[in-house]
Amino acid sequence: MGSLLFLAVIVGTLPAQAHVEGDMAGGLTAGLWHPISGLDHVLAMVAVGLWGAQLGKPAVWTLPVAFPLVMAFGAFMGLMGIGLPGVEIGIAVSGIALGAMVLAEAKPPLWFAAALVGLFAIFHGHAHGTELPEDASGVLYSIGFVTATGCLHGCGIAIGLVHRWPVGRIVLRAAGAVVATGGCLFLWRAVA
Amino acid sequence: MPGGTRDPRALCRSRAGFRLAGLLGCLFPLTGFAHEIRPAYLDVREQADGRLEVSWKVPTLAAAFGEQLPSLPAAAGQQYPVARSGEHEACGCPSLWARPRSSLAMPIHPVFPEHFKVLSPPRVEALEDSELWTWSFEPPVGGLDGAEFGAHGLDVATMDVLVHVVTADGRVVTRLLTPAVSSLTLTADQRVQLGGYLRLGIAHILLGVDHLLFVLGLLLIVPDRWMLLKTVTAFTVAHSLTLAVATLGYAEAPLEPLNVTIALSILFLGPEIVRFRRGETSLTIRHPWVVAFAFGLLHGFGFASGLRTLGLPAGEIPLALLLFNVGVEIGQVGFVLLVLGLVTSFRVLEVRWSRPARALPGFAVGSLGAFWFVQRLVIMASGWR
Amino acid sequence: MPVSLEGRCVSKRGDRLANRISRLGLVTTVLIGGCASTQAHLVNTGLGPFYDGVLHLVLSPDEMLGVAGMALLAGLGGAQFGRIALFTLPLAWLAGSMLGMTGRINLVFPAATGLALLIIGMLVAWDRALPPSMKPVIPAVFGLFMGLMNGAAATAGSLRMSGLIGVAATVFVLVALLAAFTVWLAGRPPWTRIVVRVAGSWIAAIGLLLTGWALR
Repeated sequence: MGSLLFLAVIVGTLPAQAHVEGDMAGGLTAGLWHPISGLDHVLAMVAVGLWGAQLGKPAVWTLPVAFPLVMAFGAFMGLMGIGLPGVEIGIAVSGIALGAMVLAEAKPPLWFAAALVGLFAIFHGHAHGTELPEDASGVLYSIGFVTATGCLHGCGIAIGLVHRWPVGRIVLRAAGAVVATGGCLFLWRAVA
Repeated sequence: MPGGTRDPRALCRSRAGFRLAGLLGCLFPLTGFAHEIRPAYLDVREQADGRLEVSWKVPTLAAAFGEQLPSLPAAAGQQYPVARSGEHEACGCPSLWARPRSSLAMPIHPVFPEHFKVLSPPRVEALEDSELWTWSFEPPVGGLDGAEFGAHGLDVATMDVLVHVVTADGRVVTRLLTPAVSSLTLTADQRVQLGGYLRLGIAHILLGVDHLLFVLGLLLIVPDRWMLLKTVTAFTVAHSLTLAVATLGYAEAPLEPLNVTIALSILFLGPEIVRFRRGETSLTIRHPWVVAFAFGLLHGFGFASGLRTLGLPAGEIPLALLLFNVGVEIGQVGFVLLVLGLVTSFRVLEVRWSRPARALPGFAVGSLGAFWFVQRLVIMASGWR
Repeated sequence: MPVSLEGRCVSKRGDRLANRISRLGLVTTVLIGGCASTQAHLVNTGLGPFYDGVLHLVLSPDEMLGVAGMALLAGLGGAQFGRIALFTLPLAWLAGSMLGMTGRINLVFPAATGLALLIIGMLVAWDRALPPSMKPVIPAVFGLFMGLMNGAAATAGSLRMSGLIGVAATVFVLVALLAAFTVWLAGRPPWTRIVVRVAGSWIAAIGLLLTGWALR
């Protein structure tokens, strides 16, 4: 905390450098905004958190560690121009599949859950990677992007904590149904 | 190390305190011994007949590097002639005057409204570490309201300019121009920009290595958190008191003897730290807050001199004073928290320092205090000569 | 030989190493400090090159992430690794930036920072005990690498020697605070360790994105 304050003070005292942050702040905002601007992304991210909470101990730890990495890998592919067929369909299907898992309260082995989530994460990351703005600051955009994704994830897990109460379980499953329905809508839009 | 630690929870008796301070002690000299903040200075005074008397005091490169440059432009006090010309400044602006070839002034220049007409060519005087240019403008058409004063080249030279304008009707406008905000427009109802005072307060304490070293010395002899709080509060109250008293003009301390006594206060803490480490006791170690209060009174006068370099806006002295003081406290609290954070970190990381490293902070405080004491004594003595 | 400290024999090899590094660090800092103080006069009110260096680091999110990643890794490895990194990283950083400033070694390629972040973040997310011989190597190599890029950037900007010392001092402070915090955090119930690993995976993800960004 001390150092934070110290740094804040120093930053505050040096307006000479202030011009640096102009477009950088823009990059951060853009990065933060991008993952939450599409409802399809948001639903899937939250669903991952919900499912993790349902799956319990090892999964609720493993998924948040693995997910950002896999997603970044997808974005990396997008940035490098490596094509991925049917991204929009993949994203919509991810909503359906994850929603269905939450709805069914499915408890597959950990490796299966991780592989499923990882596969969808690549689709989501790829979509983000190809939609990146050209002129933003790379570092801040990336920070914002990963932070926003992680927070969506955290929201899902936090909501998923209601899992310990019987009523909460029903609520969670209902939420899964909502996500799956949303996924169906997006699939319809992607295909039609 | 048997002597130094009596109570394991004690803050600065924990070896980490010394370790950390060792490093800080090493780093302090890096910030240089410069304590005063020296912006360039632009003074514009409107005379009764509308003429503008202008002085422009700009530090020379010699001042910036603090070294004796091979050839100073002129001996102190000597004047050299300046001719009018169509030359350009380093930044490409048309130059008001040809800069004397030997001039080593920082590459910045003031900017005036274009309709200002020069009445008399400038006199240039080479001072110890700066050049003083003085000239006058004809009474400007339309008076001073709406006139824009600025300075160019601040971003390159990373320096500030203090602008001080006195109008014929007695209004005083003081503003610190920075690389970010490098011009000032006079308006009929001049709103004094006060944010600069907060910034100045923070800068003053962050660059005031002697003040920080004194605080560090205090941190090294307080036994626990409660005493730490008492001591820091006592120091804060004391220096705020004298800062206010001095700024409001009720009391005054001559600068040079003041600097000597401030150095003495740091020197004083050195032996106390050593004594504290040995497990001995003294009045200072039993009641550090008393010492903090007493010397805090001195340091407050020092802060006041820092505030005076900026000048004070007419009619808003209390607010400027408050902001400056708050700035100083922000810097000081930040420093204390940083030190505490590092001490805690070293304890968690179980860093063990060797004996000399642990002894270093006490010696650093003591010897730097001694160095400054002698140095400032010499400066004071040479002033009398 | 720093064998006897505080009247007791230091038995563990790593501790001895940490001590040697810490002593080396202190001596170097004093030496450099002594040299630099002669040339480090404040130019003017810009708060001077030392604070410019501090600010340079604080305003470079990629470098801050690198320091944070290294501190997290060291903290996960326990107090001993924390100590080693505390002294090795700033010194290596300083050495690297001095080298980089000379301009003789040019390691700057677009994806360099991204890859460095990716590797360090992966190590944090992976959270396995590292072999003792790697403990000084990782911060040393990482610090040298980041420092080299930093030094090149410093030449482009106008940071001088004391600016680089400002950077290194900030690295030292940040590593001390964050590594200690991580050591404390990792000693709590297991889920707090996960928080650190998640942070590591974020850093790695950012590094991967940056790499892609640089290579596209």
